[in-house]
Amino acid sequence: MKKSLLTILLAVMVVLAGCVSTKSDVSDKKNDNTEPKTDKSKVVIELLGMGSGEEDMNIVRDQLIKNGFDVKLNIQPDYGSFTAQKEAGNYDVALSSWTTVTGNPDYAVRALFKSDGDNSIMADDEIDALIEKASTETPNEFAETYKQLEQRLVFDKAYIAPLYNSFKAQGVNKDILDVDTVRLAKSRAIAWEPIDFIDETKRDTDPLIIQQAIGTLTSLDPIKGNDGSINTLNTNMYVRLVNLTDDDVVVSDGSLSYNHSIAEGNSAYYFLLRDDINFASITDGKAVDTGERVGADDVIFSMNRAKDPDSVPDHRTYSLHEHIQDVEVVTDLSELDGLQSGSNETIREGLEKGLDVKIAELVSDKAVANNASGKYQVVKMTTVNPFPQVLNYLAHQSAGIVSKKQVESINTYDVATFDVSKDIPYGDQNTVTEGAKYNNTLYASGPYILSHKNDYEAIFYKNPGYMAGTDYEPKISTVTVRFIQDPDSTLSALRNSEIHLFNGVPETKYDLVENDSKLFLQKNDSNAVSYLLFNTKNREVSTSETLRKAVLYSINQDEILNFYQGNKKKAVSTVSPLVDTGNELKADSAKVQEFLNDYKAGN
Amino acid sequence: MLTKKYALKLSREYTQANFTWIISLILTSVLLLNSFNFEKGELKGSVFSIFTAYAMFTIFQMILTLMVKRDLLTIGEIRSSTRKLGYVQLFSIVTGNVFTVAFAFNLIKKQKTPEYMFAVYMLLTQVFIIAISSLNLFKSYVADTFLAAMIILLGVMIFQVVTLILTAKYVEEESAPAWMMIVAIFLLFTALTGNIFALLLGYSLILKIRSHDQSRILKWNTIWEKITRNSTAILGLFFIILMFSVSICSAFTFDYDMAVENDYGAILQKPSLAYPFGTDNFGRDLFSRIIFGARISLLVGFASTAIPVVIGGFLGALAGYYSQRTDNIIMRLLDVLYAVPGILLAIAIIAAFGANTTNLILALSVGSIPTYARTMRANVMMVSNYEFVDSARALGSSDFSIIFRQIVPNSLAPMIVKATLTIGGAVIATSSLSFLGLGVEPHIPEWGNILKIGSTYLESHSYLAIIPGLAIILLVLSFNFLGDGLRDAFDPRMD
Repeated sequence: MKKSLLTILLAVMVVLAGCVSTKSDVSDKKNDNTEPKTDKSKVVIELLGMGSGEEDMNIVRDQLIKNGFDVKLNIQPDYGSFTAQKEAGNYDVALSSWTTVTGNPDYAVRALFKSDGDNSIMADDEIDALIEKASTETPNEFAETYKQLEQRLVFDKAYIAPLYNSFKAQGVNKDILDVDTVRLAKSRAIAWEPIDFIDETKRDTDPLIIQQAIGTLTSLDPIKGNDGSINTLNTNMYVRLVNLTDDDVVVSDGSLSYNHSIAEGNSAYYFLLRDDINFASITDGKAVDTGERVGADDVIFSMNRAKDPDSVPDHRTYSLHEHIQDVEVVTDLSELDGLQSGSNETIREGLEKGLDVKIAELVSDKAVANNASGKYQVVKMTTVNPFPQVLNYLAHQSAGIVSKKQVESINTYDVATFDVSKDIPYGDQNTVTEGAKYNNTLYASGPYILSHKNDYEAIFYKNPGYMAGTDYEPKISTVTVRFIQDPDSTLSALRNSEIHLFNGVPETKYDLVENDSKLFLQKNDSNAVSYLLFNTKNREVSTSETLRKAVLYSINQDEILNFYQGNKKKAVSTVSPLVDTGNELKADSAKVQEFLNDYKAGN
Repeated sequence: MLTKKYALKLSREYTQANFTWIISLILTSVLLLNSFNFEKGELKGSVFSIFTAYAMFTIFQMILTLMVKRDLLTIGEIRSSTRKLGYVQLFSIVTGNVFTVAFAFNLIKKQKTPEYMFAVYMLLTQVFIIAISSLNLFKSYVADTFLAAMIILLGVMIFQVVTLILTAKYVEEESAPAWMMIVAIFLLFTALTGNIFALLLGYSLILKIRSHDQSRILKWNTIWEKITRNSTAILGLFFIILMFSVSICSAFTFDYDMAVENDYGAILQKPSLAYPFGTDNFGRDLFSRIIFGARISLLVGFASTAIPVVIGGFLGALAGYYSQRTDNIIMRLLDVLYAVPGILLAIAIIAAFGANTTNLILALSVGSIPTYARTMRANVMMVSNYEFVDSARALGSSDFSIIFRQIVPNSLAPMIVKATLTIGGAVIATSSLSFLGLGVEPHIPEWGNILKIGSTYLESHSYLAIIPGLAIILLVLSFNFLGDGLRDAFDPRMD
């Protein structure tokens, strides 16, 4: 009995052993062609990232390990500790991302890769020269220059390893909001003024409820911040000289100017100002029209402080405006008779386009301006070098127009001896936070003004003096911005109608929004690019180009696209979403092995 | 009639029979609910056939329960013909229903020695390990050591079947035949697969063969009698040992790469034979991840309990034995530690020193030292008044020897119970910290990590959250049930 059992068992075993393929069987078949490796020891790469980028880090880790690296993860819970680790140099590669909010390629490279850029950690003369060259060129010319830049930056030197370009997605509650009035722009922050309810009678009774992840606001002074906590808020609180359309064309629509013209030579720019925007302030918990018009003196004041690093302590945006040379009000009509750049029309013709009342007189005092009787204000701006992309920077929230009178009356401190504990600068978030320090001194030139905030939400009211009677007059009286940090919680809030709009639906959750009958998913391209930034100091990757290239060619963007269910696009550099350079990064394990062996051999 | 009603209450089989059919019925209903696709109104063939099998054995279980009840009410004991029907119920092992199988083994044998119960659960553990491991056969490839490991596991199982038969036949309440020594030694070797039941059986056999101290055997028998009578406690022990054994065997029968390497071609697959629990958002096999996750949960659970037991026990023993001043110094210092919330302390430690398994264990250990010290101190204060301590002192033993040779061994029982109950808490704490992103690295298969990914897919792929959740619940419940059982077994008032 026992013997026969044993025989049967042995027979079963033999059959099973024949059917089952083991791991080494499978991998042997796969790797038949690869040469035996010369050096088996693994190169350790330390990957730095944030908890929110855990998924990207896992993909990169997996791809590097499969290509023979060993990966050490350094995951930091928030942006603050991430930056601290980055500044301490505790990484080989850092998972980084960049969004070009101005929609022009110069912004996508200048701060990041130029030797003296705000966020740059590298120094390469050839790259500097290419960035400068491209900045003076027109779109037709710069495509080739940026292609060369990518070749140098990514393929020749491997300073960065690109991962992907994201889409933008926005979920809208279509039972409450009129979907056609909700914009989703590629670069600029969402404009609140056109948004309308389906039931228009609710405009004055119900608030529009939207969401933002960060509740600690850097500053409500437009030049003192350039991050996710204030970009949308300041965009809607301050009007600018120009705006970007949904696909990144610079226009005057919905801005402080009726029209703008570029003079021949691409270094003088003219803006014809409107007379129907007044500053709003908060008095007794309500938004009131201050009666003070937004005029040329405010524009000149705002531009001059934007380009001057010493105009305020903690100036975060002056490098965006360093091209501006002079800003002045034009009073001599004959100055407008010059030709426009690349056109046979005069500057004046360009500025008067579509106007009912043509320019009869130019005035320097904003109170005298009266467009109905032909009295206009014109502001002229000159740039240091010919630089057509300057207009994109003027559409950025940091170029928002503030009140000269109000800001000068609040910022009475001396910049050099500024004391955080004593001096209260204009736009300090404490002045609008509920509590003892509340003292709202904001003067808003835009469609809405922030009334008050707490850790949970911020309340905005419509500016009563903003383009009343035009298409750009804000539709809804009150906007509530909820601070909800986690995207999944935000999605739940959208789905149970707690909020009306969610900008930033996660890629893996598109189907949930699409399958919900009361929601509508808007999608658009975006300028957000994720990439790996190599450390340039005190690491093996800083000195070895071959090691960097080995990492570069380990990155397989097809797999990343697969993970995000096709809701990402390939990218080569931060310029990719803005300029079609035709470059593409192709993963290549053979090249990786070649580079790795070269590196181990000491090259 | 009165005595016969007592017969119902006293009968181990009847209580277990009731417990078994109820649990079995619940499992059957869950399967029935899952065999329909309510959205499409379709019947899922595979789940439905499993349901049918479960239903069949559940009905048979109900019949057995009724027969046991009738026997007990009419003649006061279970007829041997009814006991023989237990052999039929043994076949429910093919459905993997551990409850009915355990009952069947209980029903078959009238005189149940602890060795018999050990042998039964040892065999059950082995069968489950082999069944779990052989699910890997449906994958595209298996680990290199898979075949060799499976042959060894099968060989061990055959040996264990033989042992079960021998144990049932020859081992008595008080003694075992001397020739079983060789079996016992083999059993100790097979315990290397992580099957602690084999270790218990081997130890028990050696005890009965070698020891002439009847009181020791009697004590051993009583404790295990009480634990095995308690269905939930013994099933808890079974699940813990199964997880432990799986953690060891999985090193040879499972491929770790399947649990950590991304497979972008198989993202978010529904459960199938190749992926019994489906795949997660990186295309990793959830089944392998759960199996490898058991290792970390158990390791952290045991280690972060053992460390405070040793440190807290030592400090508590000193505080309990020595005078006011020592007591005060130690206990007040520990009170300071006790005032810091445990999970916050853990979060602070991990935030400061980084997230990895060692730090996790340390972080969880430090916070629970004071509670163990208190338990130990109370016991030591009680035990140190006993006469045998006085006599040891009279014989001139040193303080150190009195504490650690006389008092501590006699104060251990409550510590063991408390430890068992808090391992569950440690398992939950591990998973909670991982869930918050403070535990082990996110790609490492740990139940909290798996649950974290699952929680974001609760709506579209709910199995990603339900399965790790169930695993955590089952392991913690098992520890709690076992703890309860141990408390009852060690409590003299329950005699």
